[in-house]
Amino acid sequence: MSVRKHVNNGRVYLLSGIILIIIFLYIYKLFNLQIVDNLIYEKKAQQVSQRSKVIPAQRGKIYDRNTDIPLAMNVDSFAVKYTPGYGDRENLPDLIRRLSEILGVSEDELTRKFPDSRFFSYVAAEVADGVSFEKITLIAENIEDFPGISWSSKPRRFYNTSGSISHVLGYVGNITNEELQVLYNRGYSSGDVLGKSGIEKQYDHILRGKNGRIFNTVDVRGRQMNKEGNLQPPENGYDLVLTIDRHIQELAEKALGPRKGSVVVLKPESGEVLALVSYPGFNPNLFNQKGPNNFGVLSLNPDFPFLNRSIQSSYAPASTFKILLTAAILEDDSFNPNRLIDCTGSMELGNRTFYCHKKTGHGKLNLKEALAESCNIYFGTIGVENLGIAKISEYSHAFGLGSPTGIDLQGEVQGNIPSPAWKERTYNSRWTPGDTLNASIGQGFVTVTPLQLADMVAAIVNEEGKIYKPHLLKQIVNTTNKSVVEEIAPEVLRKTTISPRTMETLREYLRGVISDGTADVVILNDQVEVAGKTGTGEVGSSTNWHSWFASYGPWSEDNEKDKIVVITMVEASNEWEWWAPKAADIIYQGYFGNTNYEETIRLLRKRGVWYTRDIVLEDEVEN
Amino acid sequence: MKIKINMSSIFGFDFVLYLAIQFLMVIGIFFIYSSGVNSNGVIVSDEYIKQIIWVVTGNIILLVVSFMDYRIIKNFAFWLYLGMLVILLLTASFGKVVNGSKSWLGYGSLGIQPSELSKLITIIFLSFYLESNRKYIQTFRVFCTGLLIIGLPMGLILIQPDLGTAIVFAPVFLVMMFIAGARPRYLIMLSAAGLLTILFSMLPYYLMFMADSPGNALILFTEQSLMTVITITLGVISIITLIGYLFTQKGYFFYLTSFFSITAVSYFLSFFARKVLKEYQVMRLIVFLDPQVDPRGSGWNIIQSVTAVGSGGAFGKGYLKGTQSHYRYLPEQSTDFIFSIISEEIGFFGNLLIIVLYMLIFWRCINIILKSQDLFGSLIAAGIVGMIFFHFMINIGMAIGIMPITGIPLIFLSYGGSSLWTTMLGIGILLSVYHRRYKNVN
Repeated sequence: MSVRKHVNNGRVYLLSGIILIIIFLYIYKLFNLQIVDNLIYEKKAQQVSQRSKVIPAQRGKIYDRNTDIPLAMNVDSFAVKYTPGYGDRENLPDLIRRLSEILGVSEDELTRKFPDSRFFSYVAAEVADGVSFEKITLIAENIEDFPGISWSSKPRRFYNTSGSISHVLGYVGNITNEELQVLYNRGYSSGDVLGKSGIEKQYDHILRGKNGRIFNTVDVRGRQMNKEGNLQPPENGYDLVLTIDRHIQELAEKALGPRKGSVVVLKPESGEVLALVSYPGFNPNLFNQKGPNNFGVLSLNPDFPFLNRSIQSSYAPASTFKILLTAAILEDDSFNPNRLIDCTGSMELGNRTFYCHKKTGHGKLNLKEALAESCNIYFGTIGVENLGIAKISEYSHAFGLGSPTGIDLQGEVQGNIPSPAWKERTYNSRWTPGDTLNASIGQGFVTVTPLQLADMVAAIVNEEGKIYKPHLLKQIVNTTNKSVVEEIAPEVLRKTTISPRTMETLREYLRGVISDGTADVVILNDQVEVAGKTGTGEVGSSTNWHSWFASYGPWSEDNEKDKIVVITMVEASNEWEWWAPKAADIIYQGYFGNTNYEETIRLLRKRGVWYTRDIVLEDEVEN
Repeated sequence: MKIKINMSSIFGFDFVLYLAIQFLMVIGIFFIYSSGVNSNGVIVSDEYIKQIIWVVTGNIILLVVSFMDYRIIKNFAFWLYLGMLVILLLTASFGKVVNGSKSWLGYGSLGIQPSELSKLITIIFLSFYLESNRKYIQTFRVFCTGLLIIGLPMGLILIQPDLGTAIVFAPVFLVMMFIAGARPRYLIMLSAAGLLTILFSMLPYYLMFMADSPGNALILFTEQSLMTVITITLGVISIITLIGYLFTQKGYFFYLTSFFSITAVSYFLSFFARKVLKEYQVMRLIVFLDPQVDPRGSGWNIIQSVTAVGSGGAFGKGYLKGTQSHYRYLPEQSTDFIFSIISEEIGFFGNLLIIVLYMLIFWRCINIILKSQDLFGSLIAAGIVGMIFFHFMINIGMAIGIMPITGIPLIFLSYGGSSLWTTMLGIGILLSVYHRRYKNVN
């Protein structure tokens, strides 16, 4: 028997086979890792070994058209950070207690922001921001009591003026996870500050600039491996110059006073918005402080202080809509404007009775007189019998009603110009002649925003019925060399097809409203001749109405001065004072007289203007 | 039998095996150097110098042993084994604590790990025992004695505790018994019992960490009284089926009794395994299933190692240019994760070269199993193949994320004197076996 036969060759071959199979499986796995999926792991390896530190870019400032004092700016402020790797783990609660005393933040809140100290990490985590220089000094003086604490500059946004301008400027905040998901691909990252509303949001991409970075290669514990790093300097954001004139904004804000409502002051020949007021407003500087002006408290306020009423609220235009009807009647040849209609104070339509605001009736009126007296029966009759809803709608759209004005703010609503099809769709009921009558006098389903109304008036003022896109941005300025990067040119939004003759007549009629119509008792300024139309909106109450005044001045071409359009709107929730035309009157007086609100009121008082008697100025309260 | 005249027979020396080992050890030294270089390009570890010393001295041992007659070991194999058991006992009691286990014996900075050498001595003694009992190799008695021979050192090493080294005994035993000609059903049953024990040990942890809701199954492994009932029930069923088998000699009784006794034993053992296993050891197994359970803790090593290997690409980042290793993302770079740093720096094709070198070693060792003039030599070769291959499989497997982390070095490449010396001693014996393959032929 051969000694060689001491092992079973079959078993040895089986063992070899198993070894071979396992080796080939390993080679296959290695091939997958290193050849097929190589790029995935290469990127992963880069990510863990390269960390970058962000050098924040300065957010651009926002100026008004005077460009002397910024409306929004950055103030020095610091973020406090904690690095677990340098910290003292055992005495962390003590550290948090000491820090909470200095920062004035509760210990619980601070504890939540401290990173999980289980990992001995050298990555600094932000535990507080908006810390003043004085507080940082306090920490720095006793730095041995604060192991692991460091700080870095994190400028805070500060708004020099607050109130109604806040609606225009908006505010900034830390990016939320939801926003990050949407904006990640546009270069935003977590911890970024971004505009949440208003100009800050609309032009965030211009204001924010581009953060710089220092790239570091770090080891497993986050320790920096190369000292100098690879620097990519930040590009600061551009400054913005707005079309807003903060003096006029202030004048308009004070003229409106503490009444829920809004004011639009527009340059019709370019679409530049000089003032955009909405009351109530808010103060974004106080958002992070406790008290009634805290963001959380404000957002629950039933008066909706975050609502920019000039563009985000639409109301029934009421009698101001008669401007449009007048244009339609003049332009359309279905009715002779000189024909008289007898207003008896009421009219029957189907089985309903409609009343004029003057219950005794205006008697026989032509178009000019009807507009001046704001006769509902006159416009209702022509609206129903001669124009019809189709034509009313057509003319409304020609003036830009029912569609957004395209102003450079977010959240604009477009109002509503109804049609039978729209009513069918929305209410599942037929259009009735009563609906047409309501539409003719600016009630019912017709709603407009104050800014849309401003555009409508602008079309009447401008040559060829042009409407310029209302805008707030005037210039983009490079902060570093103060050069103008971009000058926003006026842009024609639409052109009404109304003939110049009609417009001229319309302007005369609108002047007539002021000189010998409904508004002659409240438009009392001595600076400029105003043309316009009041409106009193029914809201179902017998003591309160929406108060409108849509106007422009100076009314005729003879006047050399640049024209402005002023729309004032006071909501029915305020005490009824018929305030809209009065507010507009104050604005005209102040704007063309070049006086501020207080001087304006004193001038008007001196002239014995009756409605100024009840106004109490701020500086008079103290005495 | 005809005597072939060729290089091997002239020199009686396996040059392929010898050169493959040398090649691997040189590569090893280069990468132990690389692992000691920090991110600033400064060498901070003298491990590579120590490794050079180990390699040189190891080579002397190898050459001396290879020219001696391996058969003389048979005379004192038993005493070697006995002495080793004593040393292991001493180590477990008085050993130096390194990395949480008492596996070192020595003075000052000089020290050896007796557990490494014990692997080789156990292989030698088991080979000796199996050769002496070759006629009864298929019996249950020899199988059990073999199990005892392996089990004693394995148990002593587990006490240290050094799970990684201890676990190597299992494949070594299986391979040797298989080559010696033991009944496959015993081997299969043993493997099944071992795997079931591991499974039962892990299951409760798995349920706790991985499953969305632990569910009621957890009490099967935590409720003391319930466990006793289950163990007894399984034991009784095993005995009944065993009696049935002994009386009837029917095949299905055999399978039933096998199944139930294996389950019972595994279930019983798993209870002790959970007492012995440290939480980090269980976490290693858990994170092997899903590294993301604890990416910064236990899963870290797997994630970083796989990233290192994967980022190496086809040709690697270049020698001394691996980022994962030099920025210290990889733990235990010179020992457990040497393959990760190699893969990162020389890439897929470099790895192929290394694997080919190992394949040469396996091929030559298996050749020795076949060519050895006696069973003793064949079994030593089988044991060493089993040992080297298991190290190879587990170490590379954990570097590429397909094996759990057990802390087993990659023989020839990893830094470490004890394991290198042991293996070179073993290879020396194999070369001696090969050298003498034609003596006493016929």
